[in-house]
This record gives sequence, structure tokens and C-alpha cells, in this order.
Amino acid sequence: MDEDFDIIVVGAGFGGSVAAKLCADAELKTLMLERSENVGDKVISGLTIPFQGFLFAPAFIRDGNPPFERPADGIVNYIIKDIDKGDIEIDDSLKVPKPLSPIIAFGYNTYCKPFCQWQARKAVEAGVELRTSTTVTNFIKEGEFIKGIITDKGEKIRAKIVINAEGSQGILAIKAGVREKYPPETISLADTYDYVMRKEDIDKIFGYSVKMCWGWDEQKISPPLGYGNGLMVWPYRSSIHFMQDQCLRTDQKSVPNLGKLFDEYHHNITSKLLWWKDLVAPRAKLRARMWEGFEIYVGLNKKLRKMPNHTDGMILIGDAAGLESTELCDGVPAAWYSAEIAAQVAIEAIKANDVSKAFLKKYDDKIKAHSIIQWSIKGRNRYNLRIAQQEHDIKKLKKYIHQGWGLGSLTHFTTPFMKLLLAYVKEDPTIITKWIKMYFRYYQNWLHESYDYVKKKVIKVTASKRVRKKERKFLSTLRFIDLIMKSMLRIRRVLKIIIIPLSNSLNTLMRKSLPIIEPINSAIIKLLNPISNKLSNKMIKFVDKANPSIFYVY
Amino acid sequence: MVKTFKDFPGVQWVEGAGEFIKINDEKCIGCGNCVKVCLAGCFEIMEKKAKIKSLEKCLECAVCWYVCQEEAIIFSWPPGGTGYKSDWG
Repeated sequence: MDEDFDIIVVGAGFGGSVAAKLCADAELKTLMLERSENVGDKVISGLTIPFQGFLFAPAFIRDGNPPFERPADGIVNYIIKDIDKGDIEIDDSLKVPKPLSPIIAFGYNTYCKPFCQWQARKAVEAGVELRTSTTVTNFIKEGEFIKGIITDKGEKIRAKIVINAEGSQGILAIKAGVREKYPPETISLADTYDYVMRKEDIDKIFGYSVKMCWGWDEQKISPPLGYGNGLMVWPYRSSIHFMQDQCLRTDQKSVPNLGKLFDEYHHNITSKLLWWKDLVAPRAKLRARMWEGFEIYVGLNKKLRKMPNHTDGMILIGDAAGLESTELCDGVPAAWYSAEIAAQVAIEAIKANDVSKAFLKKYDDKIKAHSIIQWSIKGRNRYNLRIAQQEHDIKKLKKYIHQGWGLGSLTHFTTPFMKLLLAYVKEDPTIITKWIKMYFRYYQNWLHESYDYVKKKVIKVTASKRVRKKERKFLSTLRFIDLIMKSMLRIRRVLKIIIIPLSNSLNTLMRKSLPIIEPINSAIIKLLNPISNKLSNKMIKFVDKANPSIFYVY
Repeated sequence: MVKTFKDFPGVQWVEGAGEFIKINDEKCIGCGNCVKVCLAGCFEIMEKKAKIKSLEKCLECAVCWYVCQEEAIIFSWPPGGTGYKSDWG
């Protein structure tokens, strides 16, 4: 029997559930279809969702208790010049300094499945009907309009708008004639290994840092530079994720023998790299191996970037809209942002009773105006690593690693970040304290393994007078920040005349000043290390004992 | 029924996926690109044409489809609830 919905969301990945929940919150009759038996069964990635993803995420994520495996406080880059001689340089400049770290995190490492399931449960609680084990095979089309979907069981389900969150391959979008298949040089195959390891060992060997390895191709220790992500190792709570990835075509003529190469890379890195060989290998046990293709270089190709992300009756989001990030190698933030924008536009379109391509163009306009989405899909810093490799130029290699994965990222990230930050502050001056609460709540949740739906340890509220005093101090500081922010908004002209134009030049400012600031910054951090460590430990103790309610957003 | 393979720990395959990847023999030129990129060993070259050996370890990444310049590979998603699944992605 045919059914009718306002919205059908195809795919319950990182983007799909967010779009579905927000539509259901607006009381739209929403159906979400997922081809796997359980949400998250088929989502594979090594994953740090970066801080900007959470800061600018839809409120239910930012103010909620999503499950994650470990906060990340930065990246340690191993620049491997000669692995046999142990000639390795380290760039660990991208690190949140103590005492801010580890509570103020650079990002959060997570398994995809529990996170996607958390989002899907939020969507279902909001009223979304979720059907798993349902593959969408085609669309119902009437003229140019998408009017619904057809499932593998032959069911025809109609909707006013389809939000397509099918993922990077875009099989359905191609079938609908909206997009084209990507060329292989834009696709990276990520070969992923999951190792079990004791939490205490991970704390000692990794702490909160993601480790990345970069080397010349001929050493066969990490995939060719710039043609993939190189090699990354993420520490989770009591496991680590190892991911090597490489593009499907590195020149116009041939595709590499990835089966053979990946085995070689993995063998060489795990048997030659000292920290892996001596520290990790004796303590880690392989639990899983899997892989997935990512469209990481789509954004660099103007023609591909211009492919439509909407049509009559349909909006594409996240990876399905080509929003996987070249700069970050992480599509989650853009999936969240685009899902929220898609939901807003879909709600408006249904209210206006106009789901035409012309109306849904609002979605495209907002995606193009989103400073972080545009930065993340167009950035060329990581892509530039291939130039260093082609020229075998160590200076360039170090420069591009610093630009892409070191403190040099401030020279291209600061402006888009500040632009979005100011827009959020303008909209809601109390957002700063919501962000602070988010960091503290997330860290407390991590310490106690206490997330929505999963509470391994119940957070006990302490009666200590000292803790109570600190809680009061924490809350009064937040009230003070809110007061300052609200009064600043009264002088909007200052924002308009000084701060906004200044944010546009921040990248240039960082480019010019970073060579001076960086060594000073690093010297100060070293000098203050003993004090910072003490303060950081004090903050951790406070978060551990504090009443969780002080970190809630009401 | 669910299958597992020693070479690929932590992944399960739910039966019933069927032939969700097909090869158009007329278009295939036997370049072997699909064989080179498939980490599950799903393909082989026989008589200068690519053939599907078995899809039982396929992780549905679609890289075979991306690298086929002749558009000889027809890729679709397996029926709902079938194919691979993992808790560790």
C-alpha cells in the first residue's frame, strides 16, 4: 500500500539522522530508511570529529551527551625520512596546551556505529519513523519532480521532499540524473585496522594525541603523500584505530595494486617504526579489519564541486552532496551542518508549499555561504603534499605538514572559523557558555563512561564543601561571561565596524605573525609546563567530582 | 545465516546479498583495475575478461566501480539487511 510522508530521509548515517530529527522536531511526518540491519552496521572510518563540528553542530548534539571514545588534544606528525636509520622528525605543534587540555579538546575520537545509533535514537524519540533493512533502489519521478522512493521490496513511498543522505557513492543521485560518478583520482580507499589495547597503555603511549606518519613513497611505510591521508593512528578508550589510505588513481594511466601495497605498508610500519614495534605491537591485539572509499578530493575539482546538490523535490546532504573534506579528511562536520541547513530549507519549503528546484536553491546558497564547509572542501594544504613528494623536497614536505596538520593550519582556518563563530555569537550571546559547558560535560561523560542510553558508571554527586565552592565559582564565572557577551551585543556597531572586518584579515595576520608567535608560544608552554600540569590535574579532579547538572544546558 | 572469515576479523556477512555487482562482458576490456583495487579479492581475469570470483567478502566500498573506465561494472546496493556489518567502523 502506498504511504505518504512529508519527508523521507535516505540513510541513517551522521547526516541522515540529524536531518530527520530536525524535520520531526518541526512536526513534519518523517520517515528514515537505512539499508543495514542496525544503524551504523556499515559506517566505517577512523575518526576524530573536530571541535568545530561540535561547536557549530545542531543544538541536540552540542548540548547533549553523545558517546565517544576519547577526547583528542592534538596531532603528533612523524616525518619519516629514513625508517631503517630511524631518521624521523616530529611536528607536534598542533596541540591544545595545558591546562586547557584535555578538557578543552581539539576533537573527539569515536566509533561510527554507537554515535550514529545515538543520533538515530534521538531522531526516533523526536517522532521519526525508522525502517532498517530497507534499501532504496530508485525514486518515484513525476516529470522532473522526485515524489518519493521505491524500496528493494517494491514498496512505493511518497513524500513531499526526499533528503538524500546515501553517502559518498551517490548511486541514487546518479540514477536520478542529478550527479555524476566521481573520477577515481578523487576517491581514497581507507584501509582500517582496529586493535584492542589496555586503557592504561593507551594513556601512556598516546595520551590524547592522534599520531600521523608521513614518508617517501619508496619506503613503503605510508601511502603516497598527498594521494591519501598517509597513515593515522587514533587512540580510543581501550582500543586504537589504524588507518592507511590512498587514492584509486595517482596519475591518468594506471591504478595501483592496493591489495599488495596496503599489506606492504602495514607490515613495514608495524615492524619497523620503533614506537609501534616496541610499545604498541606487544600490547595490541587485532580485532577487526575493514575498509571504505571516501571522496576526499571532489571539492578540489571545480566542475565536480559545481554538481547540483538539490533538484525538484530532493536535497542531497553530507557525502552524498560531495561535502567530504579535503582539508580535514572528515566529512562529519559538513554532514551535520548540511543536514541542519537541509532541514531548515525543507521545513520552509513545505510551509510555502513549494518544493521546486528554484525554492530549494536556498539550500545551495547557504552551503556556499558557509565559511567552514567551503574551507574544508576547497583547502589544498594536504593535497600539496604530493608536490613535495614529486620533488622529493623535505623542506616542502615539512612546510605542508605544518600547514595541514600543524599549527600552520591557523593561517587558513582562523578566518572561516571566526566568521562562523561571530555569526553564532550574534545569534545567541550565551553560546560561549554553552560551548564551555559542552567541553566540561563531554569530559565528565568520558571520565565516567556515562552517555545517553549507556551509563557504565553513575556519576556520584559529592557533598564536599570544597567542590561545592568550586561549582559556585564555575557557575558565577559563566554568568559573568554571559553578562559581558550580552552587553557587547548592545554595541553591535563595534562588531560591524571593527570585529567582522578584522576577522576577514585574520588568516593574513596569522601568516605574517606565526613565524614570530610560534617559537615564543612554544617557549612559554615549556616554561609553564609544571604549573600547567598541576592546574590541568586540578581541573580534571573538579570535573570528576562536580555535580553533572552544573554542566547541563537548560 | 551470518558468515565470518579469518582474514577479515571483526566483520560479519549476512547471507542473501546476491549478485549486487555485475560485469558487462561486452564492455569489459580485461584491464584488471578491479582486481588491483579490490581488497576482498572479489575479481579475477579469465580469458581477458574480468569475472566475479565471489562477493562473499565484499565490503560494498564500490572502488571496483570507480576504477572501471569502460563502465563495465554495474554496482548496486545489496538488499536491505544483507551484506557486511561491523561494530568497529
